[in-house]
Amino acid sequence: MLGSIHNTLLLFAVAALTLAGCDLGYPEVAIINRTTDTMLLKNPSFSGCVWNVVLAHGSATSPRRCLPGDDHVHFQRLNAESYCQGQAEDRTLPGICPCDGGLAEALNGVDADPDTSTQPMWFNYQTVSIKHADYGSFYLFEITLDDMEQDFSIPGPYGH
Amino acid sequence: MVLPLRQFGPVVALLLAVPAYASDGGIDPQDAGIDVAVDGQATIDDRGADAATMDDASPSAPDTGPSLPPSTASPASDVVVTAGRPISRDRTQDATFIQGERVRTCARSTLFEALAQETAGVYVPGRGIGLHGVANGATGGIKMRGLGGSPNTQILVVEDGVPDYQGIFGHPIPDAYVPALIGDALLVKGGDSTLFGSNAMGGVVVLRSRWPERNGYDVEMDAGYGSYATLRESVSLLGRAGAWDVTGAFTGMSTQGHRDGAGGSDMVGATAVRYRLSPGLRLVVRNKVAHVQGGDPGPVSTPTVDHWFDVWRDTASMQLVYTRRRLRLTLSPYLNVGVHRLYDGFYSHDYLGGATGELDLRLHRAATVLLGLAADGVDGQVENRVTGERPDVRGFTSVAVYGQASLRPLPGLSVVLGTRGLLSSAYGFVPLYKAGLRWDAGHGFFVRSRVARNFRQPTIRELYLPYPVANPELKPEYAINADVGVGYLSTHLEIQWAVYRTQARDLIKYFGAWPAAEVVNIDRIVIAGVEGRVAVRRLGPISAVLSGVWQDVGRYTRQNPDAKVDFMLEIAEDFGPHFLTANLSGEWVHGLFMADYERQPLSSVFVMDLALRYRYTRDAGDESSYRIEPYIFLRNFLDRRYAYVAGYTMPGLNLCVGLKVGI
Repeated sequence: MLGSIHNTLLLFAVAALTLAGCDLGYPEVAIINRTTDTMLLKNPSFSGCVWNVVLAHGSATSPRRCLPGDDHVHFQRLNAESYCQGQAEDRTLPGICPCDGGLAEALNGVDADPDTSTQPMWFNYQTVSIKHADYGSFYLFEITLDDMEQDFSIPGPYGH
Repeated sequence: MVLPLRQFGPVVALLLAVPAYASDGGIDPQDAGIDVAVDGQATIDDRGADAATMDDASPSAPDTGPSLPPSTASPASDVVVTAGRPISRDRTQDATFIQGERVRTCARSTLFEALAQETAGVYVPGRGIGLHGVANGATGGIKMRGLGGSPNTQILVVEDGVPDYQGIFGHPIPDAYVPALIGDALLVKGGDSTLFGSNAMGGVVVLRSRWPERNGYDVEMDAGYGSYATLRESVSLLGRAGAWDVTGAFTGMSTQGHRDGAGGSDMVGATAVRYRLSPGLRLVVRNKVAHVQGGDPGPVSTPTVDHWFDVWRDTASMQLVYTRRRLRLTLSPYLNVGVHRLYDGFYSHDYLGGATGELDLRLHRAATVLLGLAADGVDGQVENRVTGERPDVRGFTSVAVYGQASLRPLPGLSVVLGTRGLLSSAYGFVPLYKAGLRWDAGHGFFVRSRVARNFRQPTIRELYLPYPVANPELKPEYAINADVGVGYLSTHLEIQWAVYRTQARDLIKYFGAWPAAEVVNIDRIVIAGVEGRVAVRRLGPISAVLSGVWQDVGRYTRQNPDAKVDFMLEIAEDFGPHFLTANLSGEWVHGLFMADYERQPLSSVFVMDLALRYRYTRDAGDESSYRIEPYIFLRNFLDRRYAYVAGYTMPGLNLCVGLKVGI
């Protein structure tokens, strides 16, 4: 009888090791910035995964295992060129900004408005297309200029 | 595991004590507290001094809960029946009795979810495996008959006679329970503020812990490992030596979660000691410590990382019980304290303390009276350690006198009348009442009805904490719950049907979102519904339960589903010392919304779980006896995508493999 118990235990141990790790079959996902040189993307997320990184043009996140399913790729976007020009117009940047088209130089010597914020504004965006990820595969999702829209879908907190 | 037991010397008896396996959702006489001894040999009931010296289980009063077939309790001529006190104290209420074994073996990952699987009248949302959490992103709120849920303050949880809720937030921590020690549970639908006071508005969850059934010690270890690196470990001890009973359990769980930020851990330790000072006098001391850590993972589309919480809670209580033939006197002081820390700097201490004294008096064979005196108080301190904010928080206290008369004017007819006068330091005098009727027509048929006026006082959070908004002018909530039910109960078949109506006024509701949010009393709502249950028990190896509820919740549809169906099919068979069981269970929830006025609808939830168990028992009647029980849970084995809460997608197919060993 002890032999049968040992066999039962062994069977369940093997089952535990093989079956309990089935979440390792979750899809691997990476996000790559294919927008423009001056577009920065921050904190991209997809189906339960979030990457706390800032992606310059051409750079990608590391692959991570996400929940299988359908979702937009959500991210925050900063157009560095627009930011730079805006700051130059508001005279918050001392000296010449290389991306302001000489505007800062023309305004050199004029005091900046102290109430003007220099904080970069990251806006919530998502891909227009819905991406799909399924078990056991690798997905590289590209973010392009013609496949993004503002994201107003973020639900409020739920608590009890 | 054997070596420490030997330290107890000759009093240690290694028990098999395999509980009667519950293959149904109804009442097994053993679990209902009835112990049958053949040939006049009365046995010691597991509730010890609770045993029914007041004839609670006499043939004329088989009050073992709402579902016990009368025939089950009918004694034969050569059988002596003793009994523990029934967990239900009102025969006219609509309630579902659940054996502890069902909770301990359920495939659902938390206690409240396991209770919700037993009856469609209880809705409990989840967000992942094992942890419900606290604050934003938390789930685990209980909804009954349109009340409760988010926040979960209209359903009262009573654990071993002590109300369990946080002083500031007014609801329990759903992760802070020890299923290993739960002896039985009762889900009272329609509330009962007459007996339980504030918060028992929509329903009451009554939990009662196990005690050892005989001299000796019973140790059980249950360990499981599963998907998402989820590890569970539970160790429990039940022991009796002379006049002393002791129980203890430790439950630990840790998981990485099925997605970023969903991981966490909880640890709960509970101990209880009972000392029989004399045949009619006993003292019980309990303590439970819970530590829950985790985080709010946020919606799947925009996950949050590091939105952590860290909660410590401790509940201590004492119970002094004096029992004579026709009376029972109980005195129960308790204290529930907690420390909560959140990622954003929130830090709080809260306190709930109180005491109850009850006199249960049997005036006549057909009349019993329950008189009670209760006092409680809540208070706390809150600060934000990052911003330095210290909201001004004021606690409040209440004192109540209550009484309940249970009458049996005619054979088969039960009448229950009750009233409670509550004096609140914040809201003055609050009158509450209830009246119920039950007629057992014979051959298992019965008709019952009850009406109850229930109430809830606002929580400190709703009054004073601006997270996201507070309103010190809030008034208490009131509800009048009425229901009518009919049913048929027999050994193998149970059919129950009930229609209910909840009329509430001054319900406290949150509207809008920060910074334009507000919390106010709304005028009046009416919720009406119908609930049914069919159970087939032990037809050969097969048992099955199907329960469903449909309700019209009106405008306030947030996390308040229209319909819910739960089902269970079980095949269980003994082969001598071997026992095999396969349990298929499922849940369907329809009409879910994330906002009131039917806005932000969610897809219906449909999920099925499968549990397989094998148990080998070696019952040698000595220290070499043991039982060993490997099991496997396949949760959501259809791998469906579903969510109870928008953005909080539940896991797909996931597994847990475990082993339970008892000596």
